[in-house]
Amino acid sequence: MNDIATEEKLEAASSATQRPRTTRNLEQWSRRPALPETHYVDTRVYTDHEIFQEEIEKIFNRVWLPVCHESELPEPYDYRTAGVAGNKPLVIVRGGDKRIRVFLNVCPHRGNTIVRAPAGSLLRAEPSGNPKHMTCMFHGWQFDAMGRCAEIPREEQGYQNRLCRADVGLREIRSEVAYGGFVWVNLSDEGESLQDFVGESFDFMKTELDTEPLEIFHYQKSIIPTNYKLWHETSREFYHDYMHYHNRATGMLQKGYFDRKYTVFRNGHAATGLTTVVYDAYEGSKERLLTFPGMPRNGWKQLNIFPSCTYSLRTSCLRVSVMTPINERETLIEIRGLGLKSDTPAEREERIADHDVIWGPFGRNLIEDLLAVQNQSVAMREGSGSKYLIMAREENETIHDEIGLRSYFAEWSRRMGRKAAEPTRLMEE
Amino acid sequence: MKRTVDTQTRQIVADTIYDSSLALNDEDWNGFLAFCDNDSFRYRIVNYSPEIRKEQCWMDRDWKGMKSLFDLLPKHNSNHSPLTRHATIHRLSLDDAGDNQVLATSLLTIYRTQLDGMNSHFESGQTILFAVGRYEDRLKVDPGGGSAVLLSRTVRLDTRQIDVGSHIPF
Repeated sequence: MNDIATEEKLEAASSATQRPRTTRNLEQWSRRPALPETHYVDTRVYTDHEIFQEEIEKIFNRVWLPVCHESELPEPYDYRTAGVAGNKPLVIVRGGDKRIRVFLNVCPHRGNTIVRAPAGSLLRAEPSGNPKHMTCMFHGWQFDAMGRCAEIPREEQGYQNRLCRADVGLREIRSEVAYGGFVWVNLSDEGESLQDFVGESFDFMKTELDTEPLEIFHYQKSIIPTNYKLWHETSREFYHDYMHYHNRATGMLQKGYFDRKYTVFRNGHAATGLTTVVYDAYEGSKERLLTFPGMPRNGWKQLNIFPSCTYSLRTSCLRVSVMTPINERETLIEIRGLGLKSDTPAEREERIADHDVIWGPFGRNLIEDLLAVQNQSVAMREGSGSKYLIMAREENETIHDEIGLRSYFAEWSRRMGRKAAEPTRLMEE
Repeated sequence: MKRTVDTQTRQIVADTIYDSSLALNDEDWNGFLAFCDNDSFRYRIVNYSPEIRKEQCWMDRDWKGMKSLFDLLPKHNSNHSPLTRHATIHRLSLDDAGDNQVLATSLLTIYRTQLDGMNSHFESGQTILFAVGRYEDRLKVDPGGGSAVLLSRTVRLDTRQIDVGSHIPF
């Protein structure tokens, strides 16, 4: 068919359906999509600095966030450091009573970071401190594993009776260990419990997560130049399986793929139900033999917790992905792989191999996902001309339905008091 | 006591490691695999994570696994920015595990010259330091034939943040 004939046919089709021509000028490009406001997003939700700051205040400072797994600090006096909600510094400590507590990792004296290493044991004393204590290197103030101030050098000479150790304990953060042994924190002293926050969303993964203790075997992180929501959204929509050759071969081309149900829960959480993956459809791959308690072989189910965490249980391994927003353009992405604490060495090796082939930094899928979200960020940089993202697929709440994205932004709007389709105006206005 | 490696063997091992690195740099995957023993070759990428205080493995494949990985590269959406590996052999010793087997430790530096990973208009052509670590190789040397094959390679990384990752082995 020659070009003129093609153009004529397109022209005829356009006038028949009252749709615009196949390209758009600036005015047309800038128009809101002819869709309900719940079905598209203004790209300023990903690029606007003030919106980002408000997200930290209204969302991240108030919701429950996972920060590490309990197996990262297995022994009394083990610690782990982390940062949440725009990188508020935390230290997570297992006390002599084996209980895990979380503190703001800031010395109340002169504001220095107290514990600097990513992980370790307080049983080894710092150069200017005592064992079992967290010691601020700057002036030697020491805190015990329960966050109480244990030592102020020359306390009485300097402060007489105006200030004492009891006044300067660490700020303790609300925390709980739950849902597969993860340490969850909430920066707000008030508000709903973790159980109220997650609601019934973990019910369909409860057997797998909580029948026996889990253990971490994989940790990786990267600071990716993208907005945190874009990364989380890749976990919430599966339409992008077209990007992954692995998923096309082992999933999309297999019977039952399009029947996989999508379930949304209150508070913005969303889950994709069980599906069976045909691993040997990918050359060099094979059927997986290991699994989790209650999970069929070669199964895959996934749960997204608002606003920035994903549990993906795929055959023999659990991947938990956590995002820490740094600013509107940068996100720290942490990925953990977990198996069962009771694994034999051979079982553990198999879980690690299964994890790495898809999700590791040399795996087949992770790279594709990260490339996509950082290039989204390039394309929708402020002023680039990008205007709206569409999340309008409706397929009876099955795998390619974008209900997971819509439920995310419904919760985002509820907490922010702004519509994602028109984010610069408060809804009460 | 470690037995020393003679000059001829040293040269054969050096040629093998350097030529196999050039093959990887040139994305000549079959050329690289020709340096690897197709019965026993095992390729691993490992590192120690101070975050979880464990040694961890990020890739573990045999010769067939490497071959299928290379064969499927065109089917994956990837960052096509080429990697340049600089390996320098620092330690050679004879391996007691078998005749004419040599253990070689090379310090490794990997650079990436940007192409299409992100914003190619700005960044293509820039070279960045991508990763550092070492190759821990075990080779079988054929002194008569003047050649050697890799029996195993462990890439031990110091770098633990490698951007979006890599579809291509180091």
